[in-house]
Amino acid sequence: MTQRTYGQSDTVDFIVVGSGAAGGVLAKELSTNGFDVVVMEQGPWQQPSQFTHDELAVEREGAMLNTSSEPIQMFRETDKDPWRRNAGRALTYRRGVGGSSVHFAANYWRLRPIDFRERSVLGPISGSAFADWPITYEELEPYYTKVDWEIGVSGTPGPFDPPRSRPYPLPPMHNKSSGVLLERAARAMGLHAQVAPVAILSQPYDGRSPCKSCGHCSYYGCEFGAKSSSLVTVIPKAIATGRCEVRTESTVLRVETNAKGRATGVVYRDKLGNERRQSARAVVIAANGAETTRLLLSSASSAFPMGLANSSGNVGRHIMFNVHSGSFGRFDHPLNEYKGPVASRIIHDFYEADAKRGFYGGGGIDARFPYGPIGFAAGEFPKDLPQWGSEYKSALRDHYAHSVRFAAHITSLPVASNTITLDPDHPDRWGRAGLRLTYQDHPDDTKAKAWFRERAQELMEAAGATHVWSPPVVPTDGGVHLLGTARMGNDARDSVVDRFHRAHDVRNLFICDGSSFVTSGRGQPTMTIQALAFRAADHITQFARAHDI
Amino acid sequence: MPTEHITRRHFLGNLSRMAAAGGIALQLPWLSTLAGCARSESGYSHLTRNEGRAMRAFAAQIIPSDDGTPGAEEAGAVYFVDRALGRPLYSASLPVIRAGLADLDERAAPVHASAVFATLSNDEQITIMRRIEHTPFFATARTLVITGTFADASYGGNRNGAGWTMLGIDHQPSYAAPFGWYDARTLAAEPRTGTAA
Repeated sequence: MTQRTYGQSDTVDFIVVGSGAAGGVLAKELSTNGFDVVVMEQGPWQQPSQFTHDELAVEREGAMLNTSSEPIQMFRETDKDPWRRNAGRALTYRRGVGGSSVHFAANYWRLRPIDFRERSVLGPISGSAFADWPITYEELEPYYTKVDWEIGVSGTPGPFDPPRSRPYPLPPMHNKSSGVLLERAARAMGLHAQVAPVAILSQPYDGRSPCKSCGHCSYYGCEFGAKSSSLVTVIPKAIATGRCEVRTESTVLRVETNAKGRATGVVYRDKLGNERRQSARAVVIAANGAETTRLLLSSASSAFPMGLANSSGNVGRHIMFNVHSGSFGRFDHPLNEYKGPVASRIIHDFYEADAKRGFYGGGGIDARFPYGPIGFAAGEFPKDLPQWGSEYKSALRDHYAHSVRFAAHITSLPVASNTITLDPDHPDRWGRAGLRLTYQDHPDDTKAKAWFRERAQELMEAAGATHVWSPPVVPTDGGVHLLGTARMGNDARDSVVDRFHRAHDVRNLFICDGSSFVTSGRGQPTMTIQALAFRAADHITQFARAHDI
Repeated sequence: MPTEHITRRHFLGNLSRMAAAGGIALQLPWLSTLAGCARSESGYSHLTRNEGRAMRAFAAQIIPSDDGTPGAEEAGAVYFVDRALGRPLYSASLPVIRAGLADLDERAAPVHASAVFATLSNDEQITIMRRIEHTPFFATARTLVITGTFADASYGGNRNGAGWTMLGIDHQPSYAAPFGWYDARTLAAEPRTGTAA
């Protein structure tokens, strides 16, 4: 399909920065609603047919990730510690049309009503900027349902699910051996294993073919187009409106503002590095919690000395990754977890925080084994067994097709001193300041990791694993969930955007992606990112039609 | 016997940083450029003949073939290692690998007159391996051997999918359910699984 293109002298209605989970939705909705849209995307436009199962390139070398092309990120735990190179996970995402929705694992959990008002229910938490969201589950529910039906989500509700206005559009995926074992463990412990909802097609849907169970969801792009990434769902629909241009390999340097404090457009570099400009009536930033931070801080001016939309000082603050822990187990018979989607069953009995545990935190547990042979043999292979030689090989053969991990996906508390800031010492190839991370898990996050590790281990034993190993919990030093760095709120003094994703400081600037999160949820944030984007698009459309942007 | 603790993310991170040290952006499948390199069965691109001999023996100790199933030897892991050391991502490891392989042969010399590591008996090789298993060379070389055994064959190792076969992987572009023993039994018992109790 040939896309509409705009000239640089055109003033379009909207520039959307980013084409991922949020940007794709915003582009599709705004162009469908009749607006002229230019999407700025840093990366290339890969087609599904270009995605491979090459573990070395994709998982080991991170061919799809920012960390391979821009690998230097500095890290420190607190502002009292010296900067050092981040040898861990760092701020990780994909550049390219569809963004990180291309390589995500596609677990699509909704938040629950409690997620939006935990601060009111539980009270303050020392050392945390714990707060309620300015919206409720009930306000967001129609948009969760819209995500289900617009992009294609497979599942069926579980016993603890929040109310939903419409069933899932697609039946659950096949229950893998790991799901059968998680069910067995749950029954033994009096818990409830439920179907894992995933943004993967269990049946043909909307002209796309269903999952072929190739086993390469997490970290990989889906060559069958069965994973409901923005690349194969909302972006093609945006292009089909004839009003949306996705301008690839275009890296935005800054948002420009005029004397009235309004956004007038963006300055960007094209693929050759030429500096270019695009004008628009309004700018929507949906670049992910790290890149959105970089763009806002890089757009400082005399009118906005702390960075654009940053009068609160909260741009880049409160970064949350969700914390993780878990337990591995090996079973008598093969599971062959190298086939099929990442997870088919989840346990949500521990979703809500419980004061009796002695800390704040809740999460979900799923059964997964997204480890290629290299990754398992060189990494996750149990450390209590020989690491080379005949016994190592024998154990490798015994374990690889027989093993699974019960993985806990847990809350992260928002902490004001956990920040993404600009790093002028490590600019990228276009001269943009690099990103650096100051981060230390809140003590309750650390306790939650340890607590969930014990639960996962109990489940693994209850499932009948013949060998259980539970790696020690480690401090978080990055991740792929980039949440909270431009949080929503009603008070301009302590939030960056209002309940409609409009920047408090700039009337025609909207920010909507993982940065909007006030609290972290229990992992799997993309469903909520997309629901927020559909909702934001409705409100932005109303504002634009009322000439209120 | 503990060795270095390599998590996936650290492995990924380290490789990325090695790449940075070489000033190379990892945008392209690297071996596509090397795929046409001529290589004979007896020759290596970056290792010397002696280094290749020692590396091959080292690889066969990491993942042996003594149980009658393919190991690093049958997978041709040494050819992966040889090629990998020629590209920026891994070339930073070349001095460590070179020194370590020379050290293996030096440690063999006192065992038998004119012996090298590769000519020692299995037990003699294992004795030397145990002495060096906590060195940076061992950790780096082990990771390379494992990678060469299981990475796509286009990178030089994992010949005929030998590494995958060894692990029990039926390597196909896609699969049909059931996938494993447990879901096969469940499917047989109740063709339509729903929400668990």
